[in-house]
Amino acid sequence: MDKTTLQAVSALFVLATVALIYVARYVHARRRTQRQIAGLRAISGWAEQAIESNRPLHLAFGSAGIGEDNTASALAGAEFFHHVIGRAGAGDAAPIVSSSSATTVPLAQDTLRRGWQSGGTLTRTQWFPQGRRSIGYAAAVSGVIESERPSAHIFAGSFGPELALMLDSADRRGQGSLAVSDQLPGQAVAYAMADGVLIGEELFAAAGYVVAEGRTPADARVMDFWRALLIAGMTAALLLEAAGQLPWLSWPAVAVSGLILSGLGLLVYRRR
Amino acid sequence: MGRGAGIGAIMSAIIAFAVGVTVMFSLLLGDNPALFGDLPDADELARRFALPADVLLRLVVIVVALSIVIGIANLLFVHVSRLTSGKFYSAVLLASFGFTIYWYVTRQGDTSLLEAVQLPIESALAALLFLSLALGGARVMGKRRDIWGLLFVAVVVVVLLASLPLAELAPLRAWSDWLMRVPVSAGARAMLLGIALGMVVAGVRALLGQDRAFRG
Repeated sequence: MDKTTLQAVSALFVLATVALIYVARYVHARRRTQRQIAGLRAISGWAEQAIESNRPLHLAFGSAGIGEDNTASALAGAEFFHHVIGRAGAGDAAPIVSSSSATTVPLAQDTLRRGWQSGGTLTRTQWFPQGRRSIGYAAAVSGVIESERPSAHIFAGSFGPELALMLDSADRRGQGSLAVSDQLPGQAVAYAMADGVLIGEELFAAAGYVVAEGRTPADARVMDFWRALLIAGMTAALLLEAAGQLPWLSWPAVAVSGLILSGLGLLVYRRR
Repeated sequence: MGRGAGIGAIMSAIIAFAVGVTVMFSLLLGDNPALFGDLPDADELARRFALPADVLLRLVVIVVALSIVIGIANLLFVHVSRLTSGKFYSAVLLASFGFTIYWYVTRQGDTSLLEAVQLPIESALAALLFLSLALGGARVMGKRRDIWGLLFVAVVVVVLLASLPLAELAPLRAWSDWLMRVPVSAGARAMLLGIALGMVVAGVRALLGQDRAFRG
């Protein structure tokens, strides 16, 4: 694909996403159905626990920062945290928001200020310089886990293997944890050690599952649509490739296989 | 939301939209003179279209560099406020901060303090990280009692055993290589594709000025 075509396709993709966002909002206003994400079920309980026990929630961005490769992760995390903070809003202990990227500090402070109406949030946003391999950040957050005794932790942003130190500290103190990372090593650690886990792109849809109203849930459906389209396209390409390689494979067989695979995909999607 | 906050949110959304669209089209049009066909000054046109994105992205670099000052201010403010409640570690942090700056200034940029203190501590923590990871792997079956948890542990065991330098375990190496090359690679790519899709939607929301950060 030459450069001009690639640019045209990119522009079309962005414009199609804009159109889909508005279509999804229109459709969502009529039909409020969403697939279920298991990892998010515990959030209500943690928010209630934070209110009743007068202990804060800890929300962590990790190294997600504005102006870097993971800007979108930082923005998605902020949107997610805003709704989580709103759920715990009746409590006395303001949530702690931590980050190892200095560019996220204003975003974190703004998220906290908007979500937490009681005020007193200026010292609840905490920046810890990450140092090499983010180990310094993990050590500092482990200190917060010990000194502030949060009721639960939500790690949503960019984390590497250092997430293990923080999850281990939380686990040893019996504090719940939900984790998702846009880095693969961090995601693997989250799967192995966190109480609840979101997988990859679910970070970007998470806000839409914490709040039922508004535009956010509809936007989550756009991601589901693109993903379904991508899966269908890849399946079709795979079957066409197989049909080309295997002379005994007929077109009707390819069509039937495609239908069966699509049906199975839809079934799995509905069950989640 | 008050009237002032409402106007602020609208202004933020307008600025975000204008900057986002400008950068997007500037990057799309400015980087490819072929888009201007046979026009005699196609290169010059492409250069002019590229200018807004270039200027705005340079501004981003400056703002990002300045944000470290915000970070340090935050660090100091948080720990000074914690001093009043008698937090010992905050006092240690503030004293270390002052001493490190004094050392750096008086010794003309000497970083030996960093190398003698910070690096060994980080290395020790990295070793601790290995133990945490091993412990986490062992706890998987406690947290995820399902087929996927079992599969996770089985794969970890196969890969770890295959990495041992024992001749008896040579057959496992082929399994381990296949696991890393096919299912692990496929899963990683699928996750990266999903993350990329999520980033596009989050980016478009920011471009439309509808992200929480711009809504007031």
